[in-house]
Amino acid sequence: MNESVIPPARNSRQFRYFRNFTAVSAVALAALLSSCAGPVSSTSEATGEPVSGGILDVSISAEPGCLDGHGISATQQQFLGRLVYDNVVTLDENGDIAPYLAESWDISEDGKTYTFHLKQGVTFSDGSPWNAEVLGQNLEHMRDPATKSPLAAAYIAPYVDGKVIDEFTFEAHLDYPYTPFLYALAQSWLGMNSGKAIAESPETLCQKPIGTGPFTVADYRPGQSISYSKREGYDWAPEWLEGDGEAYLDGVEVTLVSEPVIRHQSLVSGQYDLTENLAPQNAAAVQADPDFTYENLPRIGSPYVLSFNLNRAPFDDLAVRQAFAAAVDTEAVTESLGFGTYTPIDSFLSRESKYYDPTVEGVLTHDPERANKLLDDAGWSARDNEGFRTKDGKRLTIEVPTVESSTPSPLLVQLQGEARKVGFDLRIIQLPQAQLTELRYAGDFDALAGVWHTNTTDVLFIRYHSSEITGERIGQNSSYVNDPALDDLLLTARESDDGPEAEEAYSKAQHRLLEIVPGLPLYENPSQFAYANTVQDVDVDTSHPVPVLTYAWKAE
Amino acid sequence: MAVLRRILTRLLVGFGVLWGAASLTFLAVYLIPGDTALLILGGPDARPTAETLAQVRADYLLDQPFIVQYGSYLGNLLQGDLGQSYRLRLPVTEAIGQQIGATAALSAAAVALALPLTFAVAILSAQRASWIRSIVSGIEVVFAATPTFIIGFALLIVFSFTLHWFPIGGNQGPVALVLPALTLALAIFGTLSQVLRNELEDVLEQPFILTARSRGMRDLPVRIRHALRHAAIPVMTMSGFVVAALLGGSVIVETLFSRQGIGALTLASVYNKDLPVIIGIVLLSAAVYVVVNLVIDLLYTLIDPKVVTA
Repeated sequence: MNESVIPPARNSRQFRYFRNFTAVSAVALAALLSSCAGPVSSTSEATGEPVSGGILDVSISAEPGCLDGHGISATQQQFLGRLVYDNVVTLDENGDIAPYLAESWDISEDGKTYTFHLKQGVTFSDGSPWNAEVLGQNLEHMRDPATKSPLAAAYIAPYVDGKVIDEFTFEAHLDYPYTPFLYALAQSWLGMNSGKAIAESPETLCQKPIGTGPFTVADYRPGQSISYSKREGYDWAPEWLEGDGEAYLDGVEVTLVSEPVIRHQSLVSGQYDLTENLAPQNAAAVQADPDFTYENLPRIGSPYVLSFNLNRAPFDDLAVRQAFAAAVDTEAVTESLGFGTYTPIDSFLSRESKYYDPTVEGVLTHDPERANKLLDDAGWSARDNEGFRTKDGKRLTIEVPTVESSTPSPLLVQLQGEARKVGFDLRIIQLPQAQLTELRYAGDFDALAGVWHTNTTDVLFIRYHSSEITGERIGQNSSYVNDPALDDLLLTARESDDGPEAEEAYSKAQHRLLEIVPGLPLYENPSQFAYANTVQDVDVDTSHPVPVLTYAWKAE
Repeated sequence: MAVLRRILTRLLVGFGVLWGAASLTFLAVYLIPGDTALLILGGPDARPTAETLAQVRADYLLDQPFIVQYGSYLGNLLQGDLGQSYRLRLPVTEAIGQQIGATAALSAAAVALALPLTFAVAILSAQRASWIRSIVSGIEVVFAATPTFIIGFALLIVFSFTLHWFPIGGNQGPVALVLPALTLALAIFGTLSQVLRNELEDVLEQPFILTARSRGMRDLPVRIRHALRHAAIPVMTMSGFVVAALLGGSVIVETLFSRQGIGALTLASVYNKDLPVIIGIVLLSAAVYVVVNLVIDLLYTLIDPKVVTA
């Protein structure tokens, strides 16, 4: 990692984001500290007494079409959900589970019963109360097929039923021990909806979600904008936000601006105070501008990976997978792709994730010589007249479908060039989203590029456990990894309490993945946003590294 | 009475057009490959449960054969029920209703800019010195031939990025309407002005123009009061083109300028195979065509009583 890929300075509140200082991020931090003597660091001192009032204008890159977190899987919900919703628990500045709408909880010996002791005096914006019954209603709402949940329902899949012990005590019964349960409950998609609304008018929650959060939806115009107003009387923010009472801002006006160049221009022109997504090509310009803060934070979970389909030739052969991984200069690809803002990675778990094991680094390295040798030994030694490798007269072809757009995916074009050097014929197949989705679940591809974010290391289970292979239900194990040893490790890890046992299992799982090579890790999945320095105290969540505006304020 | 019968006939034909449009769209979307249920449930990042998938298929009849899906859709349509948007989980009428105002405002503003511009330029440049006509015609060709998004981007770069006269997109207030409306207007003006000038030049050759001039009328009144009336009919025939330019252009302009509207809704719906909304928009567009054509027909007679259309 060189200095050019290091994110810029952030103010002291946001330093808290970095918790598990791995060797690499510690080096990055040291480099960062030494390099932030420039004009950027002056912004971190521009703090004063918070000022109440004002509307914060925010641009976002996409809009979910539905604002009920239980019913969607959109990335933008990470940010939008934090405005309207509170969660049962939260992740604190160290990434550990902390109280939120539950003050405390007990977990039974067998890990299958969770007893939540809920905070009292919390109300939803429709006036209805937060209590044990409402928690039960929410869990039911998530898994009710009528909610059409693409994500939340899967996160609470082990939930069997619940029992209201008293007004503020709820007991949740799980089918099997599932430590990620609390982590899932901390995610934006699993925010708490009004029990009254769930019971009386669940169909309205998409357009008018009702939460207990610091803001309420005042006006939602799908495809255009969402207006949020401050929730009067809000007084139950999690401790890590270091604030009390209502939000400082009177409101937040979120506008959909889908073109990246327009998001950049309208931010620097002052039309918007903050943009939820700043394209990498504009990073340098905003970083250089002393009036703006640019954030480039990796998301926990799976980094950007080109997943191989282990179910069919040629990637059913380990040697071919290893060869492909060795053929690609990921650092060079990542550097040009992200204009220096992407952090290359050679493991299957984001470095920010709990239990990340830095000893996996340096195994999947760029080594074209090794790639050539592996392919020769695997029988792909002949070449056709175009220079591609062949075996028994068949060309070494990799079909990678991707969503149709005016320009082919720059990543795949680069990978195509890299792979060609050792004789792979990587074919980019452009398809409409609907077809791509179908093909993906039918397993009709050789490789797929993508990321998968979640706030728990259980992402390894979601991505690589054999039970997550699409069959009866839709799974995210798109590599079709079916390895009993890995399955055991991942199951042990998710069933263990946080601690040394989970750490060991996750560490072994990460090493096992290096032996399986289910894909080629490319770069960390970043959350890249920027805002004017007139906006102060923008916090960053540790579940999702997105701005949290509860106690943000606008300087005059 | 004849007029009434004509309107009724036209409305009946229009009804057929709407039915055809809805059916063709239904078939087209049905034939597009891709599992709609999977798409509704969030695409590549989702982990829907089997029960959820089954519920979606059952709710939207996706597990039924084509004829059942189509029959059910048509049945509901006849009762005025356009169905529910898969993506927005709203009745289609409401989904379109939320957006139609913005697009109507954009279209109206574009027409309000395009028509005066077209008439002014065409009237002033017809039968002028050839260098004037070359320059004007050249400009028109450029506007007519340049894709809308390039015109829009150029306007953005000049007036928003550089001069900061107008906001960079958005729906906030009339100022935000100027550049998008101008983008659409310029594309319409390019084509319409060419047609109108050619017509005017033909008409200005006519003997009755000479008569008017010989009565001592000045040049401009001759062009406006005598020539324009005759030249206007072919331009009105072009109104179909104008409607198409407004509807099609709104898809691009609304995306580029981050505006709410039918265009942006169309794009999102097509990406998501949101069949009920797609058909709703097609029906709306077809209805606009039918109505505009009917109105134009009636206007022909008003402008030139000699014209009688069937």
